[in-house]
Amino acid sequence: MSDEQNGLVLKDVYRVFPGDVTAVADVNLHVENGEYVVFLGPSGCGKTTTLRMIGGHDDPSSGTITIDGELMNGVSPAERPITTVFQHYALFPHKSVLQNVAFGLKMQGVDKAERETQAKAAIDLVGLTKMMDRKPRELSGGQQQRVALARVLVTRPKAILLDEPLGDLDRLLQMKMRVELRALQRELGITFIHVTHNQEEALSMADRIVVMGDAVIQQVGTPEELARHPRNEFVAKFMGDNNVFHGTISGTNGGNVVIDTPHGKIEVKGTGTAGQPGSMSIRANAVQVSTDAVPDVNGVKVRLDFAEYLGDSVKLHLDLAGQPFLAKVPEERYTEIRAYEGKDVTATWAIEDGHLLEQ
Amino acid sequence: MSSDDAKHAALEEAKREVEEAESLTGASAVAVHATTGPRRSPLVTLAWVAPGTIWLLLFLIAPLVMIVLVSVWQKTPVGFDPFAFTTEGYTKLFDTPVYLDTLKDTIIRALIVTALCILIGYPIAYFLARGVSSIRYQIALFVFVLAPFWVAYVVRIVAWLPVLGRQGVINYFLVEVIGVRAEPIDALLYSNFAIILALVQLYVLFMVTPIFFQLATLDNAAIEAARDLGATPAKVFREVILPLSLPGVLIGCIFVFVLVMGEFATVRLIGGGTIQSVGTLVYDYYKLPDLPTAAAGATILVAVMTIGVAVLLRFSKIREVV
Repeated sequence: MSDEQNGLVLKDVYRVFPGDVTAVADVNLHVENGEYVVFLGPSGCGKTTTLRMIGGHDDPSSGTITIDGELMNGVSPAERPITTVFQHYALFPHKSVLQNVAFGLKMQGVDKAERETQAKAAIDLVGLTKMMDRKPRELSGGQQQRVALARVLVTRPKAILLDEPLGDLDRLLQMKMRVELRALQRELGITFIHVTHNQEEALSMADRIVVMGDAVIQQVGTPEELARHPRNEFVAKFMGDNNVFHGTISGTNGGNVVIDTPHGKIEVKGTGTAGQPGSMSIRANAVQVSTDAVPDVNGVKVRLDFAEYLGDSVKLHLDLAGQPFLAKVPEERYTEIRAYEGKDVTATWAIEDGHLLEQ
Repeated sequence: MSSDDAKHAALEEAKREVEEAESLTGASAVAVHATTGPRRSPLVTLAWVAPGTIWLLLFLIAPLVMIVLVSVWQKTPVGFDPFAFTTEGYTKLFDTPVYLDTLKDTIIRALIVTALCILIGYPIAYFLARGVSSIRYQIALFVFVLAPFWVAYVVRIVAWLPVLGRQGVINYFLVEVIGVRAEPIDALLYSNFAIILALVQLYVLFMVTPIFFQLATLDNAAIEAARDLGATPAKVFREVILPLSLPGVLIGCIFVFVLVMGEFATVRLIGGGTIQSVGTLVYDYYKLPDLPTAAAGATILVAVMTIGVAVLLRFSKIREVV
C-alpha cells in the first residue's frame, strides 16, 4: 500500500445510524492526491454517507479519516481542506454569481477587492464571466453547476467532493460536463471525489472507481478492471451488460475450472475445488451470435427477442430458457441480425473472455 | 490588440454564445411543451376566475367605491344627500390639526408595533422552524402559539384590564407586595404604552406565521453549503438565513402594519377614550352622525395604507429575493 501520510485515507470506517441501521461498514480506502475517484452504487448503498463523512457533514461511528496524515474525525466541514459541491448545487439564491463564488473567501476574512479578483478568476475558469452579475435562477442547469464548481475552487481546497454533480442535467449536457469536469480536474491537479449511480458516468470519468453495495465496498479498480473483471456477482450485475452463470464446479482443465450450469458446461480461467458452487460472468460484447451448432462448452441456445440499435453497436436482448441474456454485436450486423428476431440462435464466447466470480 | 487577436476573441465569444443558447434550449423546449398542452375551453377558464373576481368585486371594490362616494356627498341632519357633491367632508378634517395629528400618531404607532412584532416574532418563528427538529412537535408548538386566537378578539383586549388597571395585578404587586410605589401607576392602562402592548400581543402572530413558513421551507442545502465554505453560525444566519427569510418578514410587516393602522377596538378599550386613532376618529364622526366626514377619514386612511404597503414592496423588491 502507498504512503498513508499523503492523500485521503479511510480506515475501518463504519457508520451506524440510530435504530441499528448500518449505512457504511468496514470501508478502507486510500485516495492519492490528484486522483479522480468515483463512488458508484445504487441508491442507499452508503456512497453518499461516505462522502458526507469525508466532507465533515456526518461523523463515522468508528474508524478514522485522515487527510495528508491529519486526523479529520470531529473536525468541522469549514476547517477541513475539502469542500463539497452539493447535489442540486445549493447555490445562494439571493446572491449574484460573483457573490456566490466570493462567499468562501468572504468567510475567510479576505478583503473585498482581493476576493473579487480571485472570484472573477474562478468564474473565468468555468467560462461564466459574462454571467457574473446574474442570480442563480437566471442561469441554466449547466451554468449553475459551473457556479457551484467555481464557488468551491476559489477556496483552493485539497479535494473537492461532488454529490451526483450531473444528476440534474439533461443527457446532452451531462456528456459535455463529463469532459469539462475531467479536463478541469486534470488542469487543477486537485483530488475529485465524485458520487454517482450512473455506471457510464463513472466509467468515463474516473481514474479509479469504488463500487459500493449493501454498505460495503464491493470492488475498487480502474474503469477497465471493473468492466473486464468484476470481482463478484454484485459488481458484474451492477456494471451492466454482464451475463452471470451459476453452477457447481465439476473439475479443472489446465488453468481453467469447469462449471456445470443448468445451461451446459462452462470453462473459465481460474482455480476451484470440485463440488463447490461456482459462478462466472461474460460481458455482452464478448458474446458471439451465430446460427452454428451449439458447442459442448461455452455455448448456449438462445432466442433473439429484440435487436436494439445503439448507433455504434447493436444490443441483442436474448432469451435463455426464460432468463434474459445480453449480447452486443457490431453495428454493421444490424440488418442481418434483425432477420433472426423471434428465432433461435447460438451464443458462444472464448474461454479467456469469461470471468470467474468470487462467491 | 492585433486584428487577428480581435477576430479570435470574437470567434470565441460567438462560440460561447452558441453554447449558452444550446444549454438553454433544453429548458425552453420543456416550457413550450407545457404551454401547448391540451387547450381549455374559455368557459372553463371563466368559471375558474369567476368566484375570486365576484368575491373581490362584492367585498373589496364595492365597499371602497361606496366609501369614496359617501365621502363626497353632502351631509344632511339625518345622513347624506347622494345628489349633491361637495368636498366638505375633507375640508372639515383639515380645518383642525386633530385629524392629521391622529393620522401621524396612528402611523407612528403602527410602525412601533410592527418593529416590536419583528423583534418578538422573529425569534419565536426561528425557534419553531429551526430549533424544533421533529415536524410533529413543530406543528404542535405552532398550534400552541396560535392558542390566543382561540379566544375572541375583544376578550383578549379586555383581559389586559385586570393586569394593567389601577387595581390590576402589576399595580397590586408594586404597591402591596413589594411596596416600591406608594400609589398605583395610572399610566399602565389608558396610555400609549398599554395600547402598544395589547396590539403587539394581538398581532405578533401575523408576524410569526409568515416568517415561520418561510424559515421552515428554507433550503437546508444552502445552509450546509455556507457552513462547508467556512461560515460561522452567526455568519450563516446573517448571510443566508436572514436574507432568505426576508419575504416572510415583509409579509408579516404588511399584515401587522395594515391591521394596526385600521385598529379601532383596542385603542378605544385600552386607551379609555383619551387616546385616538384614525379608526376611533372615524367612529366618532360616524356617531355624530356625519357620514361624509367619516367616509373622508376612512378614504384617506386607505390611501395612506396603500402607500405604506407600496413603499414596503418597492424597497424590499420582494419578487427578487426568491
